[in-house]
Amino acid sequence: MIAVEAVGKTYGSGEHALAALVDVSFAVREGEFVTLVGPSGCGKSTLLQILAGLVPASTGRVLINGRPVTGPSPDTIGVMFQDAWLLPWKTAVENVEFPLALRKVSAAERRKRALPLIDLVGLASFAHRYPDELSGGMRQRVAIARCLVQEPRVLLMDEPFAALDEQTRTRMGSELLQIWEKSGGTVVFVTHGLTEAIYLADTVFVMGTRPGRIIERITVPLPRPRTIDMIGSEAFGRLRNDIWHLIAEVRT
Amino acid sequence: MSGLRRRLMRLAMLALFLAIWEAAFRVGLLSPIIFASPSLIVSAAIKDGWTFLLAFRITVFEIAVAILIAWTLGIAFGVVAGSLPVLARISAPVLSALIAVPLVVLYPVLIAWLGLGPASKVVFGVVSGIFQIALNTMIGVREINRGYATMAAAMGANRRQIMFQVMAPLALPAIVSGLRLGTALIVIGVVLSEMLGSTDGIGFWISYHRALFNTGQVYLGILLALLIAGLANAALSLVERFYARRTVDQPVP
Repeated sequence: MIAVEAVGKTYGSGEHALAALVDVSFAVREGEFVTLVGPSGCGKSTLLQILAGLVPASTGRVLINGRPVTGPSPDTIGVMFQDAWLLPWKTAVENVEFPLALRKVSAAERRKRALPLIDLVGLASFAHRYPDELSGGMRQRVAIARCLVQEPRVLLMDEPFAALDEQTRTRMGSELLQIWEKSGGTVVFVTHGLTEAIYLADTVFVMGTRPGRIIERITVPLPRPRTIDMIGSEAFGRLRNDIWHLIAEVRT
Repeated sequence: MSGLRRRLMRLAMLALFLAIWEAAFRVGLLSPIIFASPSLIVSAAIKDGWTFLLAFRITVFEIAVAILIAWTLGIAFGVVAGSLPVLARISAPVLSALIAVPLVVLYPVLIAWLGLGPASKVVFGVVSGIFQIALNTMIGVREINRGYATMAAAMGANRRQIMFQVMAPLALPAIVSGLRLGTALIVIGVVLSEMLGSTDGIGFWISYHRALFNTGQVYLGILLALLIAGLANAALSLVERFYARRTVDQPVP
């Protein structure tokens, strides 16, 4: 379980101080899929980095399974970014092994754990290719596998599919849901795409800007497993419209 | 067949070149005071070959030790400084200044500290090349996108692992170009310091025989110095080829 308690983040000090996040509080259940959606500059990426322990909060605190976050904890939390940041001199499977190599896991053990994950993300025939031989979507699949190799209970994803074309983005979303339903972890997923935010989530947190804060918590009533067809349904459209108005009203 | 003929042609060209060179001395076109004829160099090699071979060994040893120290410390400092913005801001202008300063003015001081033996040559070789290597490495590491470091930190990499398992390999192209420049400076530094004040080494024997107008020996020394530069370059190409296989641009089959 994730508990965010009155988290604030200020950059700089004095009259140049910039409040990126103010008084953000929310809770995420074990096994819940949460999306954070909002306009650019609402601090959603900053919030995710605070959850990941990569950036310290200025005020408040984050608890994951009751323990305050003070730094990265890769055995509990897997993090994904918009870019996969694969190491270019390592093959796909070697990149998946890298977090284990950092912790001195033996080569044989690493391979044994990495290969099934390469399979899981559908890259079995690309396991020994280098990153520049892979498409953008394939590279993010490698990044997903690399997250999962540490068997984290929480996945934090910062617009992981934003750089992909629309078809690939939708397909990656569906595959992520399948993986999540199988593994049963908790996911916090940052996006600026409303469709993606609704399609993936149990709960959508809508964020506003200047200063960054949470303006609404929306429970998505769609059943699981989700299908692409749901995106065209009336209920989906109404939800999308509601969120759109929330964001637009706060802005004006 | 044509390969053999080409090789024979090359040998013939070389023989012709040597013959013209030798002839220019015999007819008095070139003075043996300023330039050595092939026969002079050969007779110098016969007379002092052993001395020069020992000197060659000493110089190669000094350069090898200087390279080992300058590469290790230069790369290590550059990677650390490139990863820490504060240290990078302080050391960039200092390193640039140290590269521009004629470090040879330090040499008399080094002799006073370390004597005329190999130690002062090694240290002078190191200071000749290390700043270039450190600066290039630092700039290379600084230009790597911080996203890699953030990613590695999220995966649980500690500072040292981020620096040496992620940032340094990513910066390899810049590091290797620094090694190219720095290694050339090391070779120059060691040979130069032998010429300025020492008791042995190729540089020492070149200036010794220069003083005695033994032109043949001088040119024998110059040829050996060129050979050393060639060896250093070959060693560098090996390093380059070794890393090219594991660095950024993998060929698409």
